[in-house]
Amino acid sequence: MAMTYETRVAWQQRMLLVPALVLLVCFILIPAAAAIYISFTNAALNGVAAAHPQLVGLKNYVRLFSDDGFWNSLLVTFCFVFGSSIVGQFVLGLAAAMALSRPIAFKRVFNAAILLPNAVPEVVAGFIWISMLAGGKYSTVSRIVGLLDIAPQNWLQSVPLLMIIVVNTWRGIAFAMILMTSGLSAVPTEVYEAARMDGATRPQIFWRITLPLLRPTIFLYMLVSTAGTIAIFGLIYTLTRGGPGGATEIIGIYIYNQSFTAYQLGYGSAVAVIMLGVSVAIGAVYVRILKVRV
Amino acid sequence: MNSSVIRAGLGLAIIMAVAVAGAVIISCASAKTIRIAEHRQARIEALNKSIPIIEKQLGVTIEVVEYPAPEKDYMSKLLTELGAGNAPDLFTANFDSDVADLVSAGYLAVITTEVKAWDGYGQLFDVAKRLSTRADGKIYALDSMLGVEQLYFRRDLLDKAGISTAQPTSWKDLLDRAREIKRKTGKYGLLLPAGVSWGGGAFNEGFALFVPGSKTPQIANDDGTLNLNGEGVRDILGLYRSLIDEDLMPVEPLLGPEPWMIPKYTMFPAGDLLATTCGTWCYIYDWGKESKNPVPDVTKNVGTWAVPGMNGGSSVTVSGRNIWAVNAKSAHLVLAKKVLLALSSVEATVSYARLLGNIPARKDAADNKDFQALTELVPVLKSVDSGTFLKSAPGFSVVSEGIARATEALLRKQTDAAGAQAILVKYVKDLLGDNVVK
Amino acid sequence: MIGVREFPRAEATAYGFLAVTLVFCLLPFFWVVLASVDPHASLFLSIPKGITADHFIRIFTVENGGRWFFNSLVTVGAATALVIIVGGMGGYALSRTEAWWKRPLLYAIILVRVLPPTALIVPLYKVMLIANGLMGALVRSLVPADSVRSTMQIFGFVDGYLGLILVLSAMQLPLALWIIKTFFDLTPRDYEEAALMDGASVFQRIHRILVPLALPGLAAAGLLTFIGAWGDFLMPLTFISSADLQLLPIGLFRAFQRANTIDYGYLSALALLYMLPAVVAFGLARGFLVQTFTGGIKG
Repeated sequence: MAMTYETRVAWQQRMLLVPALVLLVCFILIPAAAAIYISFTNAALNGVAAAHPQLVGLKNYVRLFSDDGFWNSLLVTFCFVFGSSIVGQFVLGLAAAMALSRPIAFKRVFNAAILLPNAVPEVVAGFIWISMLAGGKYSTVSRIVGLLDIAPQNWLQSVPLLMIIVVNTWRGIAFAMILMTSGLSAVPTEVYEAARMDGATRPQIFWRITLPLLRPTIFLYMLVSTAGTIAIFGLIYTLTRGGPGGATEIIGIYIYNQSFTAYQLGYGSAVAVIMLGVSVAIGAVYVRILKVRV
Repeated sequence: MNSSVIRAGLGLAIIMAVAVAGAVIISCASAKTIRIAEHRQARIEALNKSIPIIEKQLGVTIEVVEYPAPEKDYMSKLLTELGAGNAPDLFTANFDSDVADLVSAGYLAVITTEVKAWDGYGQLFDVAKRLSTRADGKIYALDSMLGVEQLYFRRDLLDKAGISTAQPTSWKDLLDRAREIKRKTGKYGLLLPAGVSWGGGAFNEGFALFVPGSKTPQIANDDGTLNLNGEGVRDILGLYRSLIDEDLMPVEPLLGPEPWMIPKYTMFPAGDLLATTCGTWCYIYDWGKESKNPVPDVTKNVGTWAVPGMNGGSSVTVSGRNIWAVNAKSAHLVLAKKVLLALSSVEATVSYARLLGNIPARKDAADNKDFQALTELVPVLKSVDSGTFLKSAPGFSVVSEGIARATEALLRKQTDAAGAQAILVKYVKDLLGDNVVK
Repeated sequence: MIGVREFPRAEATAYGFLAVTLVFCLLPFFWVVLASVDPHASLFLSIPKGITADHFIRIFTVENGGRWFFNSLVTVGAATALVIIVGGMGGYALSRTEAWWKRPLLYAIILVRVLPPTALIVPLYKVMLIANGLMGALVRSLVPADSVRSTMQIFGFVDGYLGLILVLSAMQLPLALWIIKTFFDLTPRDYEEAALMDGASVFQRIHRILVPLALPGLAAAGLLTFIGAWGDFLMPLTFISSADLQLLPIGLFRAFQRANTIDYGYLSALALLYMLPAVVAFGLARGFLVQTFTGGIKG
């Protein structure tokens, strides 16, 4: 079989892809497929099912639909993603990007300060926020709001969901800011000049010109951020372990608790499959919108 | 060839050489090592005291592996490792109710012959023998110590408030006593462990204590079914409901992580909680000599009541502690079993008794000088055989989780007793099958 | 950029907003920095009455901090190296190859990137269990019984370096592939074409031309991989149980779980130590990322 030089080179190039594909297939695709299989069994970490797991068909899924814990977790996840990613990080990130696009001093300092929360590992972020929030009247937040005459309280106990939204917003402003900055920089200044010549006020410029022009960037940001926020585990687990009473049990923690604390691997996999489905749907939308450049 | 490639290659080779050398060095040092899992500072300390003696006795090296302290996390990690096949050689089960499921999962080695041939076997209390032996007569885990559980109350504070400290005669009497406490002192009257966060405690240290005196005196039947649908279960959950709804027990701490910390270690010594379920360990570990927040003069100021039956009578529940078991996949089965028996010796169990307050499951512990120094425990040892115990069976870990969820719903005021029972029954049926629940 | 003179009030608003945001972002860090040198550190923010380096020293002498740091460095470092190599090759191939399956493959890689790790953790655990069983059988047949355990600590899939390194790599690979592919997309093929004309083999091309060319992209991908793997909490939590093999995030987490006797000074020193490499890498990565996306190497 005679291969031309070009063909041989082309094949060699494709071979370069093999190790990456092997890793991805073995450690991501096969487990994803296995998750689907396990969700149809009653696999467990303890009891008879640990020694002899059996196929139980759709039983885990049926259980899912009548399980309050699952629906609670979905609700919590939705609020969490909406509050921190779609609202919190976006608004603050956009505002920061716009503020930093002006000629102001100390840009580097502000930039670095906003990036820092994103740079630290999840566990540390959770840990330092415990100091801010836990402990009733001694926590930093309590002391600060005390100046505003709000009663000190155990924030993680009284408004847990709100608190994890705040913490995740704090953590993610950087990513929104980076994306919005690159989006803003793509808007040519002539557009603003022209608008001002026509006598447009600042709010008008913002709502009628900046935002619409930013739309693709915003869309991109929403998709990537949503997918990423759904996948969060370590940050919230360190902060609240999903409690109190499931108030912050985002879907990642719910799966972990069902699998490793209630020992129900089969059931945990069923929830995981649902989560995988949602993520794939988001990813498909992402791909379509982006019109991936090949 | 590019010099950077050469350097990278050399670097890689050096790393591999170091790794292999390290492995060899570590392996040379290991000889015959038995690994024991233990968690919580006090327990590890107690274990470490016995280790040198056992090592010398059996000519073996023992390595103690520290596991996460909270019982639930300990069990999760242990099960994950047992499933992976690389768990330590020896470990304890948290409660008797855990053992049956560990057995059916195939994780434990059979130790019947070794235990029966052991010279300590004759010294074991009857209760310990019966708790350790499964329905088919085999022994997979040894209850080397026992916990005697009942109700503990602040005698000093009740006397001060003028509330009767007599043994409650029924559940109604107990509830009325708690209400009286609330009325006269404004403090919490009675704590029963509840909720998912408490892990196995909701069942083993709360619910199970009331079972003997209820309309359903045993949950496990010999045919493998579980009595969960009866009135007895509903009545006990009703007791929980009254305590929660009438604000007689603290609720908020039970919803968070480590739920026992505030009620047992802070509220009870401070007098904000006046009665709770507990065991002999409370006289030493929770509120006594080894406590970080002790109740002064604990044996005088903290009294005990047996758990009243629903309509009369009373019971004191005895359950296993230090339930040692051998990993079925251990590389040194024979040696591990010997170490297990050594850990059930008088010296080893008294070491734990001193720091934690549980009772050695052996009659000859009474003759041990160190044990006799533990005056709080000596009288209890004598009366151990008169306690009741709950028969456990496969599926009990599911029941335990089910009770945790049922009481969690009660804590969150989401349902009533019948609803909580429905949650329990549904959970057990979902996991074990419809025909298991009676 | 909107001109200054037209909207002076906007400057004040910008400064105000940025100042508040700065405080919001930096405030939580005050505690960890102060507590790490405070001899009487507690969970709550307070001005230390003295300064001590004790906590940092204790990390390495009393507790297992040194061990944790070593384990994290080894596993994350190896994973980063693996991703750079495998991702570098793969990203290059993705960029240069023309084939009908290229578009679906790229879509698949994006989809893999959005899969949440917690959804994968249970089946991944089972897959690793099986692999571990096989490796265990292999090791037991090759190595004397007493060193099986220590060998498995290195080569095991569950509770072993090898398994964790592979898992960490796989998790970071999609992003790395994407970055490197984008980088090569923006890099003209002239140098490679020239090398091809000269009849260079694949390996020669890689060493002489591509690697030096791709350094910014590789660096960006490598640094982001390092940050991602360094912060990974779920994988070590699930797959590592032995105390000897624990990584920094788990050591930190478990030390915090010790309930009765938490030493906050020690914990914050550990947290700072854990934080530092990530922050440094992040700073470095930004530069390389900018370089990557603004056109790779031109001309």
